[in-house]
Amino acid sequence: MLRRTALAATALLAAGALLLSACTGGGSSPDPTTTNEPDTDASAIIRLVLEPGNLDIRETAGAALDQILVDNIYQGLVSRTPEQDIVPALAEDWEVSEDGLTYTFTLREGVTFHDGQELTPQDVVWSLTTRKNTPEWRDSARLANVATIVADGQDIVLTLTAPDSSLLWNLTGRAGLILKEADTVDYQTKANGTGPFVLDTWRQGDSITFARNDGYWGEPAQVAEVVFDYIPDNQAALNAALAGEVDAVTGFDANLKEQVEATGDFALVLGQSTDKGTLAFNQASGPLADQRVRQAIRQAIDHEAFVESGQSGETLYGPIPSLDPGYEDLADVAPYDPEAARALLAEAGVEDLTLQLTIPSFYSTTIPQILVSDLNEVGITLEVNSVDFPTWLNDVYVNKDYDLSFVLHTEARDFENWANPDYYFTYDNPEVQRLYAESLAATDEAEAADLLADAARIVAEDAAADWLYNGASVVAVGTNITGMPSVNVNERLNLAELAKSDG
Amino acid sequence: VIRYALTRLALLLLGLLVASVLIFLTLRVLPGDIAQLIAGTNSTPEQVEAIRERLGLNQPLPAQYLEWIGGVFRGDLGSSLLTGSSVTSELAEKSQVTVPLGILSLTIALLFSLPLGVLSAMRRGRRAGTALSVGAQALAAVPVVWAGMMLVVVFAVWLGWLPAQGFPRAGWQDPAAAFRSLLLPALTIGIVEGAMLMRFVRSATMQAVGQDYVRTAAAKGLTRNTALIRHGLPNVGLSVITVLGLQVAGIIVGAVVIEQLFSLPGIGRMLVADVSARDLPKVQGELLVLTGFVLVVGFVVDLVHRVIDPRQREAT
Repeated sequence: MLRRTALAATALLAAGALLLSACTGGGSSPDPTTTNEPDTDASAIIRLVLEPGNLDIRETAGAALDQILVDNIYQGLVSRTPEQDIVPALAEDWEVSEDGLTYTFTLREGVTFHDGQELTPQDVVWSLTTRKNTPEWRDSARLANVATIVADGQDIVLTLTAPDSSLLWNLTGRAGLILKEADTVDYQTKANGTGPFVLDTWRQGDSITFARNDGYWGEPAQVAEVVFDYIPDNQAALNAALAGEVDAVTGFDANLKEQVEATGDFALVLGQSTDKGTLAFNQASGPLADQRVRQAIRQAIDHEAFVESGQSGETLYGPIPSLDPGYEDLADVAPYDPEAARALLAEAGVEDLTLQLTIPSFYSTTIPQILVSDLNEVGITLEVNSVDFPTWLNDVYVNKDYDLSFVLHTEARDFENWANPDYYFTYDNPEVQRLYAESLAATDEAEAADLLADAARIVAEDAAADWLYNGASVVAVGTNITGMPSVNVNERLNLAELAKSDG
Repeated sequence: VIRYALTRLALLLLGLLVASVLIFLTLRVLPGDIAQLIAGTNSTPEQVEAIRERLGLNQPLPAQYLEWIGGVFRGDLGSSLLTGSSVTSELAEKSQVTVPLGILSLTIALLFSLPLGVLSAMRRGRRAGTALSVGAQALAAVPVVWAGMMLVVVFAVWLGWLPAQGFPRAGWQDPAAAFRSLLLPALTIGIVEGAMLMRFVRSATMQAVGQDYVRTAAAKGLTRNTALIRHGLPNVGLSVITVLGLQVAGIIVGAVVIEQLFSLPGIGRMLVADVSARDLPKVQGELLVLTGFVLVVGFVVDLVHRVIDPRQREAT
């Protein structure tokens, strides 16, 4: 009921907005008297979609925490750029031994936590050791290959039981975050890190405010404060932008480009992302256990339609997106061909197939609509089961009780799930598992990427799942804002260079 | 009256107790749990189990219920599993948005529905009366979401008079800004609820017009309008009070929808967020308070009815 009226309202609003743009179009041009110098007293307001349930960076899963807390509040020895390059953070420098078994990091001096306590080498040893030994902490398993963590003066030395080509990258994420040893801060609602911003206030159900950390060890932030305004609805976000209530809108809808750009105060920016629209097949048993049926489904789906309906993103035909190592264009593996799909289904002896699609309700209804009509074309009846996210977790993720499932997997470098037969993908291929293990053990990055690419091709050829699209980061940025990240902002939103001018 | 009040009060408490059991059980039927949500989509069953154990979710249901209801009797409604903050303090904070929103909505609804309802009844059959009643009919059928969207487009985006969404970060320390941010949402609820109320006032007034006592008064020399206002309206008032009790529940539901639409940090938005986080101790505390509130309003309406309606007073 709510959904239906919301749709009607959206249609009407779109009409209203068109009318409106006709009235105001071309009205405002940049004021020539403004200086365009960054205003260091400025408060920048950024619209985000998903508010974290709590702020416990140690334990609570979810990109909503990483997005704002990592880099801005908490830091690791190393960090990564949106383009996925590894850069120094709390370590000024590091060295990896020839055999890939010893990592030596040189810790910066004079770094303090937000509460004024000093960062010591012992804090680093404690943070990494506790992470490794506490399974409930996120990404604890990513340190599994680390045998010892010791401090030698300002040097932190990690020794490994086996080479791990993903270790540095893992240290840029949750696994590598450095906390104060035995800190008494209430991690659920407060924070104490070393980053360029300090958590100022969290008004639950509304907004989170960061203030500039004046004691920051690096280049200080360009704005006095950043407000993350949680506005779930895209129409409300558009209204907020048009009314001048926000400076940047993330998670936006590229279909609203003309409306948001109409006043000349905003520009729509599309960036790459590692968001993978994953249509999982439960291949443990039943008709989907047959590779031909899965391949038929893949070839029945017109992937261009998803990119077109979202006005953003790219097609994706394998498990690895173009930002991650091991990417290769796999379009040849499953070209759109309903005729071939019907032939495959006939060959597999499948008739009158009816499948259930389990999809969390917050995704656009366009996705199931396209799937239903494409599959209907080749004689498969798709029933759509729209559920809330906790139900999806319970039915699909935990109990693997589903036929098809759609979820947008946003994590970068998450190929490991295809090498894990217990994951909800229900995909079990020893060859893929071997290639993945070899890629981890490789000491050379290019070699590791090649091995991943080989494994990814097998996953695609097995039709282990279908990838409907590789999403884009859609951000509407105010014309007076600079330094707003545009790549993979669902995963990380590093605001160290964000600046706002009075223009 | 006092004996009546006591019986009603006992019924009220019993109702609350039954409601608490229903709330507790229906929430436990929801699939998925908070431990799995905390652990996310890269977790092992052992991690989830450890979190579940720490949060006390592994205790048997009757024990969990008794612990909760025992706390309620001691004035402790429970606390969030995610942030540890108490339901009482969260409700107190969020009601700073929702309570003024409700009062403002109700005021707006009453302000235009009472005079217009009576007017349209008195002018019935004439052009003004027909126009008013058709208008009310149309407005009452408008979905709250649509009304809100249109108001935002006109007053916030187009004219720029009022904020499109959100609540000032300074809260009521900046009373003007806080009031302005509640105006459009309250107008949205007020118009839709008010239109329904107006139709009710109209029919109640028309009924009163046909009553013997109004006709008698008119026959004794009062004009028909004066007779209606003096003798008819008090009766209309009585029925309106009864409906208002129901209207309060409608406004709470309206607030849930409207707080989403306008991104207002109120009780409605918190409730929706807590359900989707499966923060059950918090949800059950919130629902119990809301249920209690609606029951208390019904109780007060009944009492007021008793006290001001002489016919019911004599019946006791």
